[in-house]
Amino acid sequence: MNNVLQVAADAKSGLFDSYSPLAGAYDETIAVDGKPRAHARRVHAMLNALSAREFSRYQSLAELSLYNQGVTFSVYSDKQGTEKIFPICLAPRVIGAAEWAKVEAGLAQRIAALNRFLDDMYGEQKILKQGVIPADLVLAAKQYEPKLRGIQPAGGVRIPISGIDLIRGPDGVFRVLEDNVRTPSGVSYVVENRLVTKRVFRDSVAMTNVRQVEQYPMELAQTLRAIAPKDAEEDELTMVVLTPGIYNSAYFEHSFLARHMGISLVEPSDLFVEDDTVYVRTIHGPRRVHVIYRRIDDAYLDPEFFRPDSLLGVAGLMRAYASGRVTLANAPGNGIADDKAVYPFVPDMIRYYLGEECALPQVETFVCAREGDKKYVVDHLELLVVKAVDEAGGYGMLMGPQSTAREREEFRTRILAEPRKYIAQHRIELSTCPTWIPAQETLAPRRVDLRPFILTRPDGSWVLPGGLTRVALVEGSYVVNSSQGGGSKDTWVERENGT
Amino acid sequence: MISRVADHCFWFGRYLERAESSARLLNATRSLVFDADIPVKHCWPPLVIVSGEEQGFVERYDRESLGNGELVQEYMTWSRENLVSIASSVRAARECARSLRDQLSLDTWEEINELYLWFGRESTSQLYWDHREAFYKHIRRGTQLILGLVRSTMLHEEPMLFLWFGAMIERAGQTPRILDMHHHTMEREAAMFGSRAGAPASAHDIVQTALWMSLLRACSGSEAFMKKNQGRVTAHTMVEFLLMSREFPRSLNYCLRSSLTLLRQIWPDPAPGRASIQTLAELIAWLEAETDQEEFELAEIHRILTHVVDQTALVCAQVSEEIQGPKTARLSLSEAQPGERAAGNAQLQSQG
Repeated sequence: MNNVLQVAADAKSGLFDSYSPLAGAYDETIAVDGKPRAHARRVHAMLNALSAREFSRYQSLAELSLYNQGVTFSVYSDKQGTEKIFPICLAPRVIGAAEWAKVEAGLAQRIAALNRFLDDMYGEQKILKQGVIPADLVLAAKQYEPKLRGIQPAGGVRIPISGIDLIRGPDGVFRVLEDNVRTPSGVSYVVENRLVTKRVFRDSVAMTNVRQVEQYPMELAQTLRAIAPKDAEEDELTMVVLTPGIYNSAYFEHSFLARHMGISLVEPSDLFVEDDTVYVRTIHGPRRVHVIYRRIDDAYLDPEFFRPDSLLGVAGLMRAYASGRVTLANAPGNGIADDKAVYPFVPDMIRYYLGEECALPQVETFVCAREGDKKYVVDHLELLVVKAVDEAGGYGMLMGPQSTAREREEFRTRILAEPRKYIAQHRIELSTCPTWIPAQETLAPRRVDLRPFILTRPDGSWVLPGGLTRVALVEGSYVVNSSQGGGSKDTWVERENGT
Repeated sequence: MISRVADHCFWFGRYLERAESSARLLNATRSLVFDADIPVKHCWPPLVIVSGEEQGFVERYDRESLGNGELVQEYMTWSRENLVSIASSVRAARECARSLRDQLSLDTWEEINELYLWFGRESTSQLYWDHREAFYKHIRRGTQLILGLVRSTMLHEEPMLFLWFGAMIERAGQTPRILDMHHHTMEREAAMFGSRAGAPASAHDIVQTALWMSLLRACSGSEAFMKKNQGRVTAHTMVEFLLMSREFPRSLNYCLRSSLTLLRQIWPDPAPGRASIQTLAELIAWLEAETDQEEFELAEIHRILTHVVDQTALVCAQVSEEIQGPKTARLSLSEAQPGERAAGNAQLQSQG
């Protein structure tokens, strides 16, 4: 009799039974003593109560639901125009309340400084004149747009929407890896992931202590409203989301945001400019547009201003912007603030503009434009992660420790030819999170990063609790980009300190 | 409402209706092959011809193959080259829906996405080979469900009105086509009867009746027709029903009137330049005058249908233009220049 009970108990083994954290990395859920971290206890218990079979079933249901709802991104390299779902792992990542409060404050500080930096760069350039940041480095950057100097954005905020990529090293400290102050994407997955996770775990007590994320679109709409041109009447305000169209990889997100804010999604051909005023074509005639949340790169905004050869964009849009008759969110020219070559100087900016010390540390960075740094980098390629400053999405990167001699040689040549184009960092052992591995039907540690989203109005910043946790699903991989085999996780920020 | 969005709503409705109509027509033709004493090779060509795809089909295969039911079904169902095939229509509808995500209800979006995904599944091509009728039925159900969801889950505002206008004007074009198929089939039959001297006239009548019934089935009208006519299957009752009935939701008259009502809801105060409403109202008046006679000649019907198809194409072109609104904020609507933009990639084709 006892034996029978024993067998039944064994059959229902917990998901964490065979889980062992990766040596040398900080595990988001399990502490070094093998026990769950305080803030992760409830989630640990919730997951551990499930059998592999149950979890696997939930996992397939979640994926199917995302696919059927068309929560997908388009893959550029695929000529068929294939859409894929951004794979989700249902095992959430939890962040403690106290820790999050520090992150929140650090992000708000950082965005405040970056906003000031942009105002300065497109104004007097005091920070360069006083030699805080090397002028030649910034002015030579591809992302710096001298033609924009002297233009004041209508709403007064250049970075209303940002996404700052954070990573956590073996010491458990969150560090900024990268700023995104142009058109950061991924926030729609945060909201969709939460919806799916809620459906699966709605009865779990662990969910009751999680801060909401669903209000993001409303907060975004309020932010856009707060930065409307001065001459716009509150009740006749027309705000739009500007998308390149359905073939853009982030199209789902563009339509998601428009839908949830209740504002129109437009393409460049829907807009035209007359007398420095932007209009949208409607079936009842033209209608003035006041605020444009644009998800189009600077280069394709206005052929008159940026690219005379381009047929894309809205001719005259920049004239309207310069005259203060329309708000562009984010402001054009922001690329200089999240340039990888400028990144190393952000703590200096914070000190210079705010008179504060940088609250959120960042990763030590070698700037190849500096002679000493360049020499160190080319001599230690096998230890470093090298990034091209004008590339994004994990392209144009050398992962030193995993590279071949030939790849290193190729990068050495490129760096020596154009040192300005490269920066390097020591590879950070990214933190890991228990992640569902379908092939083995078990949880295993996989590396994660975090992209919180920050909305900024003239009166301050609001940080979405959590953000997008991206996970490198492939064993041993450090690359979390969706275009290169990354997935995502729901990110739970504790409401109050864990019990 | 943004002009492009209105245009996409319009086309979304059209593509859905077109997919449904093709599925109906293909399935009805399949049963015609069994029901009527008509050579198989005479049953299929009209289907390609009235879709305006004769040239494309002959280029892809050859003229002889127009009588090959399997090839015609494949071409009209699956072909990607054929812009009016069911697969193309469903894909195009889903493309529209994707660009309309912020306008459609979630239910509507999920169903069109599901129908699109269904089309690409292996089990679906298996169903096509194993159970053709169930295959076409699934498409009809899917499209009907979506159009139903549009009406029952979306705000009855401009996007829904445009979408429904697209569906009704497409249907207004499809019913004449279905009738015109009869004309083409009868021409072939007449040629055959001519060569078979001495064939009894009654045989011709039986074929006629089977054809009429098949066409009624093609627009889901056989039961409705019988309710109105209690077994009197004549050219007159048939044409009266399919063209002029005010109660049958697939009759030409019904579809044109609904389209007109929708346009008037969209533009309650037509500006002087609003030609579409004018054209449509005139077409309805013309149609009523033309059909207000005791007897129809087949040749007459063909003439009428040709005019109807041409005029509905004109209405569509005018609507597409008017959707764009005036080109500049300074000009009032009455001074606006007609848009130079093409109406879309698959206009109604005239069979004249």
